[in-house]
Amino acid sequence: MVKLTVKQLFEMNKSRFVLSMVSNPNTFDKLITNQNINRPQLALSGYYHRFPYDRIQLLGETEIIYLNSLPDELMYNRLREIMMNNIPCFIVSKGLSVPNQMEFIANELNIAIMTSRLSTEKLFWQLTKFLREYFCQSVTMHSTFVEVHGVGILLTGKSGVGKSESALELIEKGHTLISDDVTLIKSNDETLIGMRSNLGDCIIEVRGVGFIDVAKMFGIQAVRKENKVDLQVELVHWQENKDFERLGLKDEKTAILGIKIPIISIPVSPGKNVSVIIEVIAMNQILKSYGIDASLSMQQRLAEEIQKNTELRNKK
Amino acid sequence: MLKKVIIVQNKLGLHARPCSLLVKAAGKFRSEFQIRKEKMEVNGKSILGVMMLAAEYGSELELVFDGVDEEEAMETIVNLIESCFGEE
Repeated sequence: MVKLTVKQLFEMNKSRFVLSMVSNPNTFDKLITNQNINRPQLALSGYYHRFPYDRIQLLGETEIIYLNSLPDELMYNRLREIMMNNIPCFIVSKGLSVPNQMEFIANELNIAIMTSRLSTEKLFWQLTKFLREYFCQSVTMHSTFVEVHGVGILLTGKSGVGKSESALELIEKGHTLISDDVTLIKSNDETLIGMRSNLGDCIIEVRGVGFIDVAKMFGIQAVRKENKVDLQVELVHWQENKDFERLGLKDEKTAILGIKIPIISIPVSPGKNVSVIIEVIAMNQILKSYGIDASLSMQQRLAEEIQKNTELRNKK
Repeated sequence: MLKKVIIVQNKLGLHARPCSLLVKAAGKFRSEFQIRKEKMEVNGKSILGVMMLAAEYGSELELVFDGVDEEEAMETIVNLIESCFGEE
């Protein structure tokens, strides 16, 4: 589980959200465990039932104006009631000034308050985006990740099956490499994003040759930082008796971080041109997304033909 | 060389699924395998070929096997067709 302290949140977004600390710096040590944001409007008005205290509390102009309209004692009691819960932090938008009482209670109860110059809406969405990305699940896979005709293809298979060599052939044909051998995959709601696990150069290891700097050798257009993962292609050593899909009607799926993507196993044997097959898989995927499925239409045509033959037979 | 005439017994005929089962089974043998239906003759290891037959229920197929494991191959293929590919 990734950890995020209020201090980290502040430091990482200081310039982007134009943040400044209001409460004492030692109130910024709390851990943020919930990736959602709450606007505590109802709680400020005295309704504390179901108050999601473990979320970051975002105060906009409405909240601040409302607070300032309350008599001093009432404001103190309401804020104290809210802040008695273990709130991670308050963020006030639009650079609005925080009521003195609020700052006082926050320092006393050890709760961070910061202000942002951004508008409430903008801050809400950008903060949500940041938190989603920060808390998203990730996994590293032993695989090479390429982008072919806009389709993100994760190449998997045992060591020595030819993942890197296939990637090299694809680069030669003008496609792009995202990562070789180790791919970091993050889930972003319904999609998977694959990237290099370290932010270094795009290096490929070719057996017998050693390391190759892809961007320097093939040009910057041959590499890319990240791409959506559309499907997985598993390279399997050709075995005499192993069954491989012949019709293409079975839609095999695999799940990465709980998200299902199609998986296709292709046999690899010396002299077989794997990169062409991978290009074909990519183009077939695009056609399928447009509703054109050769396997399906072959199946339908065959069924029609059999039906015709049956009718002819019955007439005889 | 072995020859055998067999009648397609499953109601739907040799549609996509049986074709793929037939081709997969045939691919495991080293013998040559041809299928004849009326005037057509196709390679039994080729999915497109077998589909081209569009063999309906009740149609007659002549199976021709030729090679070192032809007997075994014939037994397997005949069993598969007679078992209606696990269909009706």
